[in-house]
Amino acid sequence: MHIKGLSLKDLAITISDYLAKNGIETILTGGACVVIYTDNKYMSYDLDFVLISSDDQKKVKELLIRVGFYEENRYFKHKDTECFLDFLSPPPSVGAEPIKEIREIKKGNRKCRLLSPTDCVKDRLAAFYYWNDRQSLEQAVLVCKDNNVDLNEVERWSKKERMNIKFREFLEALSE
Amino acid sequence: MLKAIFGSEKKGKILLYIYLNGESYPTEIARAFDYYLNTVQNHLLNLERGGILYSKLKGNVRLFGLNPRYPFKKELFSILKKALEFIPKEEMEKCYIARLRPRRTGKPL
Repeated sequence: MHIKGLSLKDLAITISDYLAKNGIETILTGGACVVIYTDNKYMSYDLDFVLISSDDQKKVKELLIRVGFYEENRYFKHKDTECFLDFLSPPPSVGAEPIKEIREIKKGNRKCRLLSPTDCVKDRLAAFYYWNDRQSLEQAVLVCKDNNVDLNEVERWSKKERMNIKFREFLEALSE
Repeated sequence: MLKAIFGSEKKGKILLYIYLNGESYPTEIARAFDYYLNTVQNHLLNLERGGILYSKLKGNVRLFGLNPRYPFKKELFSILKKALEFIPKEEMEKCYIARLRPRRTGKPL
């Protein structure tokens, strides 16, 4: 597997496609989706994949080691990239809800499944809502500015998470 | 009581402890129940890996808490709340209630 010099997006596609061809379905989540949806306006070295089946953890490790990755703590690293991979337990969710829509990015005949821009915004807002992480709020705003995000859906979800006040703060940040 | 749901009595008690105290660290939990530190650390790491707990560093201490982003948090909280009703009063006072009030440095416990 060729890793050296790959952008985060291309690395995500390479890994996702490699695992899928070996029977492991993943969904890319977290900051990497922000990088992809904002065309590198935000930088991240984390590739967080949610596994569809928790039985796949062991197989993922075997497959990654086979192509030169090594495990450090619970993350996977490779000598040819600064990025590191993390595999999160299922179910794929944002807050208390399952992920509703899964998007795909492609390069040639390879593909990577990832959160939709709307779910990506919810994912970032969850970090702002629960950890008070202002950087995540900024990322949510960046994704909204560059993509078609369903703000009514984000509002509905925020209310369900009982985060009405912080949702208003997000709207204010978006209008600045 | 907790083994049937959580697969391990110890894992269940660790979750209950964190539910009651908000956040805690491995040494505190191990001391509260007289468990081996390694046992507690392994349960905490597995629970974190499963998305049930979060952890963060505060100084040199890694604190664990129930992850508010866990999709089944509401259901989990309901089970833990119910389980608390079945903990005997003596056990509750002895094991589960951490000292929350501040205590001046150097003052004997």
